Amino acid sequence: MRDSEEALPDGFLPLAGVRVLDVSSFIAAPAAATVLGDWGADVIKVEGPEGDPNRFMVNGTASYPPSQVNYAWHLDGRHKRSVVLDLKQPRPRAALDRLIATADVMICNFPHAVRERLRLRYEDVKAINPRLIYASLTGYGEAGPDRDRPGFDTTAYFARSGLFDAQRYEGGPPGTSVPAQGDRATAITLVSAILMGLIHRMKTGEGSSVSTSLLANGIWSCGIIAQAALVGAFLPPRPPRERPRSALANLYRTGDDRWIQLVVVREDKLWPNLCRAIGRPDLEGDARFATTAARRAPAAELAAILADIFAAGTYEDWRKALAAADVTFGVISRVQDLPEDEQAVHAGAIVESANPEMPRTIGNPVHLSFARARRATPGPALGEHTAEILREAGLSEEEITALEERT
Amino acid sequence: MSDDEMPLDAELPLAGLRVLDVSSFIAAPAAAVVLGDFGADVIKVEQGTGDPHRNSYQSPNYPKSDVNFVWQLDGRNKRSVALDLKHPAGRAALDRLIARADVMIVNFPLPVRERLRLLYEDVSTVNPRLIYASLTGYGETGPDRDMPGFDVNAYFGRSGILDAQRQEGGPPGFSLPAQGDRCAAMTIVAAILLGLRRRDRTGKGGWVGTSLYANGIWSNGTLAQAALVGAFVAPRPPREKPRNALMNIYRTRDDRWIQLTLVREEKTWERLCRALEQPDLVADPRFATREARRENSAALTALLDAAFAARAWVEWRPVLRAHEITFGVIERLQEFPDDEQARHAGIIAETTATDVKRTINNPVRLGFARPRQAGPPPAVGEHTDAVLREAGLSDAEIAALRADGAIG
Repeated sequence: MRDSEEALPDGFLPLAGVRVLDVSSFIAAPAAATVLGDWGADVIKVEGPEGDPNRFMVNGTASYPPSQVNYAWHLDGRHKRSVVLDLKQPRPRAALDRLIATADVMICNFPHAVRERLRLRYEDVKAINPRLIYASLTGYGEAGPDRDRPGFDTTAYFARSGLFDAQRYEGGPPGTSVPAQGDRATAITLVSAILMGLIHRMKTGEGSSVSTSLLANGIWSCGIIAQAALVGAFLPPRPPRERPRSALANLYRTGDDRWIQLVVVREDKLWPNLCRAIGRPDLEGDARFATTAARRAPAAELAAILADIFAAGTYEDWRKALAAADVTFGVISRVQDLPEDEQAVHAGAIVESANPEMPRTIGNPVHLSFARARRATPGPALGEHTAEILREAGLSEEEITALEERT
Repeated sequence: MSDDEMPLDAELPLAGLRVLDVSSFIAAPAAAVVLGDFGADVIKVEQGTGDPHRNSYQSPNYPKSDVNFVWQLDGRNKRSVALDLKHPAGRAALDRLIARADVMIVNFPLPVRERLRLLYEDVSTVNPRLIYASLTGYGETGPDRDMPGFDVNAYFGRSGILDAQRQEGGPPGFSLPAQGDRCAAMTIVAAILLGLRRRDRTGKGGWVGTSLYANGIWSNGTLAQAALVGAFVAPRPPREKPRNALMNIYRTRDDRWIQLTLVREEKTWERLCRALEQPDLVADPRFATREARRENSAALTALLDAAFAARAWVEWRPVLRAHEITFGVIERLQEFPDDEQARHAGIIAETTATDVKRTINNPVRLGFARPRQAGPPPAVGEHTDAVLREAGLSDAEIAALRADGAIG
């Protein structure tokens, strides 16, 4: 069975016929809708007149690479149809109820206070459609002292969970994350919650409310050390790489500013190989480093020697030399390397799209032998499908015209 | 609606589902944990020596503890069967379990699966209704398909995350134990649920899967997608020379870190100066306008560094709040066990185990069901006899397996 195998037993998309309202903005919640759309769901994105701010992140924030192509929107907007409704106005809000009545799933990530104001809580919408799966994403959960705080990936998933602090080097600043790193992981949890809701509906005929929070996902991802904290155990701060616990499990910079992560697990066997690979057979007989215990004591001394050696060659040279000597090391890939990485294609992580402006995109991480995720289409223009979607929900041409004049 | 107010179903959503966890370490077994939390009967198939993850808590990279907190987390709600799958009789006994399972989770390297006849093709003939969930490091085909993949290298190193976490001139970032494994676990769960949905409609089982690498790239999706259109971000400047000193982190006297997030600067800059008790700064021409503050961000950072270092976090918090400054603190896990919000958000759950009394809930919340309460995790082979008997093996057959050395 292959991630990218062509022959499909039935080609059935497992979520064909499921209608999803994406009443959410930015990344974690909309990305869950994207995953559902990949597997055949009809995803309707409901946006205010200004549109989801995620449409304007490329060239709008310094942490996103600038580009002529709105790649972030295409990534998170694929397979979606866009309907513009100003939910603060009574008539568009009433029109949303018509959509809710025909939906299977509704994804919502507005702050609780906004949901209350717009009548978008589960209690509000369940009356309209008791079969609805209402999927809620929050920063910090549905209850408790911080339930109303706006939560973002960096604050709720990484900072509050203890992840950033645990990623500190001794004496150094907290760790960092890449854009939307926790949002995208959280999206998959919301998908699992929705699928459980659908299973429950299949058994009982009833809709339900399902949810997750960025905080719960951040803590789940650092579950080992969070569980340790619950029994009173904590990780000691990580020593800086100049003073590692072991110089053979450490990072070294190459002459061309790449990094080699040495992972020499079976030291006694591989120490001579390493000495040969780096062209220093003399170290093998050096009494200071003769045994595992000896190497640990002056770890800083050995790390300094190795740092100088690795700095004298390029990444490519070292990669070949270490591989030839069977010395294990971890690859620190650069994002620049991904477009050329053949394995990323085999792993279904990079896939072809049906968007001429952006011919390749990031594959859905769920792989199924019996269905291939839909080919990504461009993210929709704001309100591109308003009339079409309202018509499907049974609104008359007059009603649609009246609504469009207002927005 | 709060987590506690909703009426619950009598039955958990995955009650009646039988899951074979034929996997080790973290990502794949953690997916089985999530299924077990919601009612699945999870049977862990182990060699007699047990999943090596049972000993992870003694690893030098894990927090030191006398209790096996790791196994409580990843072994909860499972029954353990010890079978030697290299022994023909042990492997045959597994087929009896496969015949009546709904889901089987496998993460062995592909050559090992081939050797043990644990590929989908091998087991689908035994049970055509089986959902076979495969986890690999790097995918099912391609030049690196047989490479053992771990969280640090396949999820974080290979996907470009660690490199992208670098500050200009600094070393790559690092990840925490199993950080990517646990994210990938949720993807396996989603894949299994999609497989079950299809089976409910068509009656057919099928292969589902994911890889650590695909999950790493998914979570790095924004930058990876940018790379696919040839767009790259300049290395992150070091904290001392930020792009914007008002969106930066500052260390307090007691070594805590405050994350400033000043968005509407025309209003908030003056408030910050007053909070810092440096009203003269407002009119300082170096910082008077947004442009000037960007221009002189290193100087402003140095100034803020000195200011924040003068007081402890508990002193800063009320001051910043009083001046309506948007800020966060980099929380430490030391605070987590007492975090009231973590309890409200359903993150911490009580167990009935005696040594590890509280555990980490899975992040899925359902209005109609609460996850099962965890008891102590199983000892290796604790349920071998019970499970084999359920699968229809007679006591004589079980005794023969044991005499043969196929059990444990």
